[in-house]
Amino acid sequence: MADQGLEGSQPVDLSKHPSGIVPTLQNIVSTVNLDCKLDLKAIALQARNAEYNPKRFAAVIMRIREPKTTALIFASGKMVCTGAKSEQQSKLAARKYARIIQKLGFPAKFKDFKIQNIVGSCDVKFPIRLEGLAYAHGAFSSYEPELFPGLIYRMKQPKIVLLIFVSGKIVITGAKVRDETYTAFENIYPVLTEFRKNQQWYDDRLFVYEFLFGVIKY
Amino acid sequence: MENSRPCDKCNMKSIVTDTVTGKLYCNSCGIVQDNNFDIYDPQIGGITGPAGTYIRTGTSGIGTIYNYKETKIYEAKNVIDDLMYKLGFSASKCSEVLQMVQKITDNKYGKGNWFKVFVGACSYVVMRMDNKPLSNVRVANMVECDIYELGRMVYRVVEFLDLQLPEVDVVGSYEYYVRNSLSFSEVDEDMIRRMLKQGVFLVQCLVKWYVTTGRRPLPVVAAVLVFVAELNGIDVKIEDVANELQVAIVTCKLRYKELLERLVKVAQALPWGEDVTVKNIMKHATFVIQYMELKSMSSKNSSDDKRKSFEDVGFDLDYLIDDCLSNENHYALDVIDAENESQYFRASSLSSESPNRFQISQECLAMVYSKIKNDMYEHESTDSRNNNIGRRKRRYGIISYTDWWKGESEMSKKLLVKEIVEKDVGLSAMPPSFDSSCLAYERRKEKIKAAKFRIHKTMYPWDAKLIDKVDLGSVEHVKNGKKRRRKMKVDVDWEDFIIETLLLHQVEEEEIEKGYYKALLDLHVFNY
Repeated sequence: MADQGLEGSQPVDLSKHPSGIVPTLQNIVSTVNLDCKLDLKAIALQARNAEYNPKRFAAVIMRIREPKTTALIFASGKMVCTGAKSEQQSKLAARKYARIIQKLGFPAKFKDFKIQNIVGSCDVKFPIRLEGLAYAHGAFSSYEPELFPGLIYRMKQPKIVLLIFVSGKIVITGAKVRDETYTAFENIYPVLTEFRKNQQWYDDRLFVYEFLFGVIKY
Repeated sequence: MENSRPCDKCNMKSIVTDTVTGKLYCNSCGIVQDNNFDIYDPQIGGITGPAGTYIRTGTSGIGTIYNYKETKIYEAKNVIDDLMYKLGFSASKCSEVLQMVQKITDNKYGKGNWFKVFVGACSYVVMRMDNKPLSNVRVANMVECDIYELGRMVYRVVEFLDLQLPEVDVVGSYEYYVRNSLSFSEVDEDMIRRMLKQGVFLVQCLVKWYVTTGRRPLPVVAAVLVFVAELNGIDVKIEDVANELQVAIVTCKLRYKELLERLVKVAQALPWGEDVTVKNIMKHATFVIQYMELKSMSSKNSSDDKRKSFEDVGFDLDYLIDDCLSNENHYALDVIDAENESQYFRASSLSSESPNRFQISQECLAMVYSKIKNDMYEHESTDSRNNNIGRRKRRYGIISYTDWWKGESEMSKKLLVKEIVEKDVGLSAMPPSFDSSCLAYERRKEKIKAAKFRIHKTMYPWDAKLIDKVDLGSVEHVKNGKKRRRKMKVDVDWEDFIIETLLLHQVEEEEIEKGYYKALLDLHVFNY
């Protein structure tokens, strides 16, 4: 856990991240089966950190502070845990929720824990010509500025969706393991560098004086 | 017929059915019962029993009987025809849409609200495939759904037919709206042609400057329409154009401002660039755009090529020269003025290799500049005399400069994005979102620096002398935001506390700079 937590502060491993950029994980979604039928109303009444509005949504929404996460607990005993920043945190949070349910008097188990989605983000620090990228990678991209400002890139291998924005910010989603996020980013990075804005240095002052010189000479 | 139900009024169980109306009434008090929902007359008894009524749907007129399917198709076709009429599609486009609908629904068409959205999506796809301007918003408004619902349907249509939609054509939209906008219905054809070229040039510049990337295209089109109209002395309000294009006025105004800001940046390259601001850019707009046009026509490879291309251009600057040499020049050049202005032409600002190549005297340059400036002001003043005083909108007397625009640059013709990117128009701007993210990085860097000094100050208070010095400097850096200016001297905000906490938990500065505070806090601070 502590190792995982401190990973961000380690120097970047260039063999794993040739781009030198490590996407930051922003959200982990996991599911677990508590393997018992739950009385949601009873849970909502007994737990302080729970809300339940069957008219709006058929699950109890429960929150804990450490790790700061939110869980959706269904009557079937299935639970979805969101908001963790690492896989371990997600698992720990799920265990804490299961423990809360147990304390409320349900025979909750902790079955089939699975990470369902990992969302990461990063910044390549150069602007990206989305039109060019959409044109060159038409088969994978969907760029509709009328609907969404980013380009949606559906990578086939690994099967990951990337949201690419003109500012150079990238959101990577759909991974089940963290390495898929990293691989997807390392795959897309060289593509993005192709469409980065070329820094052009023309001597504008020279042009201006030629511009005016043309006038005088004439 | 006796009924077990009691009467609503007298409670007697003497309710019978009226043979004429079929309603229930009480035999003792005569009250007609309100609740006759439970009238049930079982249609049983075979041939001898009471005859039922045969009900069918889809009857239209006498003698014409459609079944459900035919009715559905008939109504669906009506929906299609109606939408095609509203969108003003040509016969060929209508048939294309119809074919698309038939293909996707397997000739079964459809019924209900989704079908309307579906036809809208098909129309959008047909137009888009043909690179014809038809905005998403317009179709969505016609079929009474939001653009996202329409977008999802478009996506499904495209997916089903395995199509690849071409990019949204901003230039095409601009051309369409110049020709078809109500605001320009009374403008003569020559002017429209001029506006087309100028607008296309500007729109493509905006594409180059990333103003259109990741943004809805129509507000940009609206901004350029308004700018070009103003440039040509046509009175158009941004609100009207925005309403006509069915886009948010605020966004149009924002894009208009962005356009002006970028033109001001281009103008900085000119000797009198420092004088040009967003407020007076319209005065200089003709010259700035002319400069951009020439720049786009010049070759950027080598100075020899550049010179050659200049000769080829033959010159849009004719009017400048004519004015300079004309007899009726009303500029008796004010000596003091010239001296003042000549500051812009000091040799220090010249390119190091150039002074000997262009043997331009400072006076000459000053003359050119003063002449333009005088003319501008003169036109402005005459114009303001003619204009209503009450009007806030300024006119810049640009109409008289109709000769300045030749429209010979390739940027006035529709180009591919790749070609646009390669052109040089005197400015290569970064996307606004990128600029702001760079600023945010800088701000965070300064904040980190300040936080480090604060920590240091607390940990080593005896080292106060050195720290005070540095600390002041760091605070100076931090207060770059206008709103913060007052606050920063006295206190620190939540962001500073977070940064301090992260620094104390040994988080790398590079990580903090990224600004993902929540993730970092969870990983490093609240990590039990």
